[in-house]
Amino acid sequence: MKISFKLNNKNVTIDTDPMRRLLDIIREDFHLTGTKEGCGEGECGACTVLLDGKPVTSCLVNAVHIDGKEVMTSEGIAQEPLGKLLIDCFDETNAVQCGFCFPGFLVTSYHYVKTDGEKNLDKIKKALSGNICRCTGYQKIFESVMMACERN
Amino acid sequence: MKCVRKFDARPKLDGSWKFIDDYSYPEMIHGQLLYSKCHHGYIKKINFPENYDLSEFTIVSSKDIPGENIVPEPVCDQPFMMDKEVMHYGQGILGIAHPDRKLLLKFIKETKIEYEELPAITDIKECLNNPDNVFGRELTIDHRTGKKPDPHWDHHHKIYYTPHQEQAYLEPQGMIAVWQPKDKIMFVRATCQCPFFVKEGVEAIMGDSIKEAIIETSEGIGGAFGGKEDFPSLLAGITSLLSYKSGKPVKIVLEREDDIRITTKRHPSRIEIETWTDPEAKKIMKIDIDYRLDAGAYQTLSPVVLARGVLHSISGYSIPDTFIRGRLFRSNTPSNGAFRGFGAPQAFAAMEAHIDEIAAGMNINPYKFRKKNIFKIGDEFPTTQPILENHLSDCLERVIEKSNYFQKLEEFKEWNKTHKDKKGIGISIGYHGGGYTGNGEKVLNSEVKVVIEKDATVKIFVANTDMGQGAHTTLAQMFFEAIDHPREKCLVQLPNTSKTPNSGPTVASRTIYIIGNLLRKFAFKIKDELEFENLEEYVTSNQNEFPREFRMNFVQDPSVVFDDENYVGVAYKDYSWAACVTEIYFLADTYQIELTKSWNVMDIGKVVNQKIATGQAEGGVLQGLAYGLCEFFYKSGYGRMHGFTDYALPTTLDLPEIDVEFIHTDSPIAKGLGEIPMDFPAPSVRNAFHNATGIFIDEYPLVPERIFKHLKKI
Repeated sequence: MKISFKLNNKNVTIDTDPMRRLLDIIREDFHLTGTKEGCGEGECGACTVLLDGKPVTSCLVNAVHIDGKEVMTSEGIAQEPLGKLLIDCFDETNAVQCGFCFPGFLVTSYHYVKTDGEKNLDKIKKALSGNICRCTGYQKIFESVMMACERN
Repeated sequence: MKCVRKFDARPKLDGSWKFIDDYSYPEMIHGQLLYSKCHHGYIKKINFPENYDLSEFTIVSSKDIPGENIVPEPVCDQPFMMDKEVMHYGQGILGIAHPDRKLLLKFIKETKIEYEELPAITDIKECLNNPDNVFGRELTIDHRTGKKPDPHWDHHHKIYYTPHQEQAYLEPQGMIAVWQPKDKIMFVRATCQCPFFVKEGVEAIMGDSIKEAIIETSEGIGGAFGGKEDFPSLLAGITSLLSYKSGKPVKIVLEREDDIRITTKRHPSRIEIETWTDPEAKKIMKIDIDYRLDAGAYQTLSPVVLARGVLHSISGYSIPDTFIRGRLFRSNTPSNGAFRGFGAPQAFAAMEAHIDEIAAGMNINPYKFRKKNIFKIGDEFPTTQPILENHLSDCLERVIEKSNYFQKLEEFKEWNKTHKDKKGIGISIGYHGGGYTGNGEKVLNSEVKVVIEKDATVKIFVANTDMGQGAHTTLAQMFFEAIDHPREKCLVQLPNTSKTPNSGPTVASRTIYIIGNLLRKFAFKIKDELEFENLEEYVTSNQNEFPREFRMNFVQDPSVVFDDENYVGVAYKDYSWAACVTEIYFLADTYQIELTKSWNVMDIGKVVNQKIATGQAEGGVLQGLAYGLCEFFYKSGYGRMHGFTDYALPTTLDLPEIDVEFIHTDSPIAKGLGEIPMDFPAPSVRNAFHNATGIFIDEYPLVPERIFKHLKKI
């Protein structure tokens, strides 16, 4: 089946099995390996991307769901001014440890700062609750997002 | 204490840093394991599904192994793949590879195995309560006086249980093997903690059919926590065998559900403690500890975990009459293995619970009782190692002070009188001996290499991996700060066993403590040897001397003398110390414990990079708190967990505010940091629950279901 969508601001068309996972399309067809598979069941958030501006776990989205839509991955977000700001903040706090979950955190944090952006710890915790990090204890992630809210 | 930023943070964020599954090789095919779904038995028949062209698959079994079917470990008893008898659920039976990963997974799912089942032990309590189920060497620390306990002493006797814990590194286990028949080299790209362990594993399974195995790690290692210490050797062995047989590069990346089912976990424990306490002096006079671990089906590295567990089992108290016995127990579950803490978290979970038990029995405040018994200069560990500093006591004092412990104790007591929900506050302490136990570091004889290039770039070659702890940033920092060299001109190279000397595995909180301090010394040594003030200027004016290679070995301090037979002597040169106070809120209607705040004071000696150290400590404390609160892997009547859906990892909504402070940072030595944060927090949750409700629970974790059952019994 032919699927057309916008990936990181570019129009693309692929011919694929409609049930194929968005995660596999991004990684295999477009070699964008920032989007990671941590669990394959929508629990960990390592594969989070923006679908029409909203964070989704791409392991649970099928090709058929993205036809005519916009997908943004960590690679795309890293090119946006707000993405760059967030990366600066995560870098400054030394928040990143193993880094496997961080592209997912970048995507979710980007969505939060863009759509709400209030420097409010409870709100940030809720916004990021779909992303699991095993290394950091989350505190430096919160600190980074708070910093980005302030600077944005 | 500078906060140098991590060199790899930005590429990790934008997604360009490569983890194992992000690598690809021409003609690469995909492999997976077909593993046992039976706990114990014989295989009668393997039925492959129809409608597949079997000639497209590469299949290996133990019969294809040209070398030895035994994974090199401290105890060599685990086969790479099942030989005759299935010993546990999750045991590898076949390695299977195919160009199409999805088709391969489907093929494996549809493959049915017929078993002749034998009796199996899968229940933790069934395993640990049966004294006939022991295997391996029994360890004892015998520091008994031979005197009978005074009849007036308070006697306390309890059994504590701790669960499995899943490392839950976010990146699943993975391996790529590339067979190079021309040179007879097996090249392996690995996400692992110990490239030289993987090398030994591949060379063991491949035997004389290869000349050498070369292991290079992936750029990113997506978390490990001990989980990527020994399992990668097994996985690399099977991946290599598939590459050898197919003649193609083979990548195995485990599906999360497979990873969680077949890889190593923290050992469940049963720790029985009997104490006799002088009621006047409030001093523990005699202790008897029976420390048991469920090793799983094979011993592998469990004896080393047992050793560390036993050595930390008395917690931080000076007790004149001590007897500790440690044993491994067999079950038909995958071998349990390394996990941050390595036997110590179990020890503190039991002993720190027991301290509150005694204090409550004698009606003395848990802090005051700890203070009466805590290690002081002049005391000894049960191995007779002298205590040389009062830093454990200093950690305890500081955490009591900064948490306003006594004020909160009173506040909560008042508040609880008029509320159905309860507030509580609990204490725990802990410590961790840095580096390999006893003579281990001497045996390892770690070597590091530095190459100084013509442009004055310093390349550091160590086998220790950066799995998120920031080791490669901090190690470089320890070198360039020593000689005031620019940061961008000092880089740790990606570990590769053909270029990197063996500086030992990335385990035992030894990376900064052993290798980092060695690199610092090394920098000074090179400076003395070349007699430079400024390395860049020296290299510019002496171009013909460069590039130049330097090597240095670790020399253990002569005070470290340990009798491995009798467990007497100095087990660890330096200890990191810690104390914790945790506040909880107990919801009476739902039996849930909410963690509200956790105060943690640690002495890790010199802090090389404040932000990196704090971040690592915060993450470790959360793992430790979750060990006490919510994480378990096996439930009687349900079995083992299947993935992140039923294994309860803490999310952003589950954590308390975690406060971390380092003290005695003026030390010249950077001590171990990796494990200490995980060792001690769990019992503070249990002790806080007792403070809130007056109820002791002796089995971890304190999930609502367990609390409910406990309350119903009462």
